[in-house]
Amino acid sequence: MVENKRTPLYDEHVRLNAKIIDFHGWDMPLQYTKILDEHMAVRRHVGMFDVSHMGDIIVEGKDAASFLDRILPTKISQLKIGDAAYSAFLNNDGNIIDDTIVYRLSLDKFFFVPNASMIDIIFNWVKENSTGFDVRITNVSDDIACIAIQGPESDKVMADLGISYPGQFKFSLQNSSMALKTNSITNSKQLIISGTGYTGENGIEILCSSEDAVGVWRSALESIKRHSGLPCGLGSRDTLRMEKGMLLSGTDFHGDRNPHECAISFIVNNDTEFIGKNSLTKGKQVFRGFIIDGKIIPRSGNTVHNGNITIGTITSGTLSPILEKSIALGFIDREYSKPGTNVTIRIRDRYLPAEVSRPKMVP
Amino acid sequence: MTKIPENLRYTKTHEWFAEESGVVTVGISDYAQSQLTDIVYIDLPAVGSKKKAGETLLTIESVKSAEDVFSPVDGEVIQVNSKLSDSPEEVNKDCYANWMVKIRKTGKFVDSMDAAQYRKFIGE
Repeated sequence: MVENKRTPLYDEHVRLNAKIIDFHGWDMPLQYTKILDEHMAVRRHVGMFDVSHMGDIIVEGKDAASFLDRILPTKISQLKIGDAAYSAFLNNDGNIIDDTIVYRLSLDKFFFVPNASMIDIIFNWVKENSTGFDVRITNVSDDIACIAIQGPESDKVMADLGISYPGQFKFSLQNSSMALKTNSITNSKQLIISGTGYTGENGIEILCSSEDAVGVWRSALESIKRHSGLPCGLGSRDTLRMEKGMLLSGTDFHGDRNPHECAISFIVNNDTEFIGKNSLTKGKQVFRGFIIDGKIIPRSGNTVHNGNITIGTITSGTLSPILEKSIALGFIDREYSKPGTNVTIRIRDRYLPAEVSRPKMVP
Repeated sequence: MTKIPENLRYTKTHEWFAEESGVVTVGISDYAQSQLTDIVYIDLPAVGSKKKAGETLLTIESVKSAEDVFSPVDGEVIQVNSKLSDSPEEVNKDCYANWMVKIRKTGKFVDSMDAAQYRKFIGE
């Protein structure tokens, strides 16, 4: 049996008594205390997450910008230095292999963050498609750690850490009072501070050398505790993203849905010939939220109905701690996708009434 | 260490039960509640429903997943712990005080373990 991978913060999680679970071959913290408490800490105050399992792949060279325009549906060549953009890798059928965030470091150097379970697949996909482009592609995932600070009071933690907010979907390289090692993304002894996250709250993600992870984590934890915050595991990361209708790679899609079906058409803004472009259709179904009056939770694979007709499928579900109702995400035929439409969801032997919503169910 | 009281029987599907005068009280083990994480809803069965040993008795919803609880015995549901409808999180706090269902036994039990066997079963 292959041993599970661990982030440089694994021992910190164990020290904090985290419940460790297997997440796509990684030993990761599911929760430190209670998922619901960690969820509310992020919504009301601030929370911190170890997301070092996510990948980091550098694309550099003379053709880096035009290559990324070829391999992504988003016009990456128009990003300014210091900007980040949400995008997705499409297969030749136009369906999403994985979603990602791309960062522009300089005119001819970028890096992007694939999901943990997709690092090897995406690295190979990008390499395979790079023939004819003057680019160098490097997987530095093991060298880089990432700690997310999320919540309305994340600015207080930034102040404690001497970090300034770079702006939403922007990033900056910042010096720290800590003696830092050189990180292999920028080859500088600085933190990469990114105005991104996966909770729908204000916040940042701090990228640094894996060797600095424990130092950054401990400083952030000390600050978090001062501001009624909590370290948070993957459990609350999942419930937080569901309330905000954010897609989860490998759960909501697995190479079978295109950006229009996933309700992220905004990423398709590229006039050049990108991979999958000619296969892109509007799609019969679209990604939506479902709000259920009660606490029976739809789960992946449950079906959505209008009378006797099956009109959709659930891909994620949980109890929303904010709405105190069950919520779900999934795909529904476009003709029933208008927010406010009443449908039923089959859960075990029951048909429960549900209301269609935009994916973002908590404002 | 997982709490496993000596006076109860345990199933491979992590229910605990105790029989007294033909009435079997059923709950879930400490191991089960810990695996489930935060319990948010317990879909209790109707009083009067008949269950076969090993058949789904009720379903527990946690933020993470839905898990079935199986009947340890053939019988009829004579009482449910309706307090758990409003406060299912009590099961996370004390899974042995917060029983779920009482069943009047009419037939056989599933295979079960004593506390020591069960501790070994969960790998402790």
